[in-house]
Amino acid sequence: MSAVGDRFFPDAMPSPAANAETAGWWEACAEHRLVVQRCIACGTTRHPPGPVCPSCRSLDWRWQELPGTGTVYTFTVVRQAFLPALADTVPYVVAAVEPDGAGGQRMVSNIVDIDPEDVEVRMAVEVVWEDMSPELALPRFRPRALGNGEGR
Amino acid sequence: MSTAARGRTPVIAGIGETRYAKWGGIAEVTEYQLAVEAVLAALDDAGIAVGDVDGLASFAEDRNAATFMAADLGIDELRYATMSWLPGGGGACAAVSNAATAVETGQADVVVVYRSLCQGQFRRFGRGPGNAPPPANAPRPPGIRRAKSLLEAHVAFTMPFGMFGPPIAYAMVTRRHMHRYGTTAEQMGAVAVTTRTHANRNPRAVMGDRPMTMDDYLASRPVSDPFRLFDCCLESDGACAVVVTTAERAADLDATAIEILAGAQGTLRGFGHGQYSNVSMPDDDYASAGARQVAARLWGRSGIGPADVDVAQIYDHFTGLVLMSLEDFGFCDKGDGGPFAASGALAWPDGALPMNTHGGSLSEAYIHGLNHVVEGVRQLRGQSTCQVAGAETCLVTSAAGVPTSALVLGRR
Repeated sequence: MSAVGDRFFPDAMPSPAANAETAGWWEACAEHRLVVQRCIACGTTRHPPGPVCPSCRSLDWRWQELPGTGTVYTFTVVRQAFLPALADTVPYVVAAVEPDGAGGQRMVSNIVDIDPEDVEVRMAVEVVWEDMSPELALPRFRPRALGNGEGR
Repeated sequence: MSTAARGRTPVIAGIGETRYAKWGGIAEVTEYQLAVEAVLAALDDAGIAVGDVDGLASFAEDRNAATFMAADLGIDELRYATMSWLPGGGGACAAVSNAATAVETGQADVVVVYRSLCQGQFRRFGRGPGNAPPPANAPRPPGIRRAKSLLEAHVAFTMPFGMFGPPIAYAMVTRRHMHRYGTTAEQMGAVAVTTRTHANRNPRAVMGDRPMTMDDYLASRPVSDPFRLFDCCLESDGACAVVVTTAERAADLDATAIEILAGAQGTLRGFGHGQYSNVSMPDDDYASAGARQVAARLWGRSGIGPADVDVAQIYDHFTGLVLMSLEDFGFCDKGDGGPFAASGALAWPDGALPMNTHGGSLSEAYIHGLNHVVEGVRQLRGQSTCQVAGAETCLVTSAAGVPTSALVLGRR
């Protein structure tokens, strides 16, 4: 990744687009807070965010901050550069991560600080933030050493 | 509900195809003209005059709008025009179902379903939605843009992490299937090699003259683990169309009419746009085609079950998802799609369920699965290049991993 400095991806990557329901998730990211949308009426979580609770149809919701730990649900090692600018970045890992406390909701991210060949389903991970600009930070995940008493 | 009693049994009376080519291979005519050519070919095959068409249907955000098509074909009165909401290849069978509903209920008498794709003239589906790189003078460092659609706001949760479109998203689904059920590369390879063998008999197939062995499959370059190049469908230029009308109207025609025994479409709770924009569905649904409810409705309506199917055209954008479709439609138990494929069951002529006898999207052409409907009709007419002897029933499915649809076709 020498070609892109400290960045995991080059600047030519598509930047995220947000609407009224999703903008808050990205604003929390800029503050290095990993959040999930939670229904105020019944407590059900949902991701990606939307205007209405699929469980009780309440329109009232809030952002719940998460501890930033989680597990790898599934992943792929991307070996083809789908953008020319990624030629020096492949192989990289895209994963579905189950953040702890998110009520089973999953988020797509990258697993970093590990050889892609060593990533496994059910691996314990923790969030690491990459600042892209003052208004954009992306949550990526790195392997997390399990402390005493912690199990999978 | 008895359709025959009402005298308006929906049938497919004609099929039409242009030539198929690798993406970018058709530049001499527009994608729109290609659609027109396929529609005219299907009507010619049916023996129905253009002037008798009163309905048009398509899917997959087809750019070739029915309104312009109706004007340019000189259709007297367009009485029915629908576009399926099911994304991409999920809507092929739904578009045919919509046409069938229209003729069954008397909203139209002759509906042509069409799909045209010139990916060289536009974008390639395999590269994912909305991921064009920003212009060189774009402001940097990157910020957050205003989403122009719900889909754009949703894929914002995948694109910035390098999950570009289908191959990467469905590699992750297939990885989960491997984790849960022990699915192997060789089992996926059985799908690729078997359907290539079928394509090798089909002069229309883009890969018709390119044999493939299991060693070739295993040696193909990695794209996104566990997918190799030959796990991924072609990206093609071409168009095809089918003519839907009533059995009564078709009785006067020369071509053999094929009955639409049943159609079903839909999506699972919480499945959203499918696993390429949402990875939060229940585990059993994530590692699946997402078609189990569609399958249950389809079998219920058709009056037949998986054991009664003579030949199947299963949507095959990715080998791993073919295995999951076979499970969802009940040809084997959940998780057993790999061993089922590896057993030789899918191979023409001796397998229990000859599948994708035209070569499918993996080896004939990627026309978003409408060519699978065309091949289903061809089988039941007895005209396939891998003809299943005496075939009377054919299952056709649309894209797995998105809200989807399916048909059971039958020979009257």
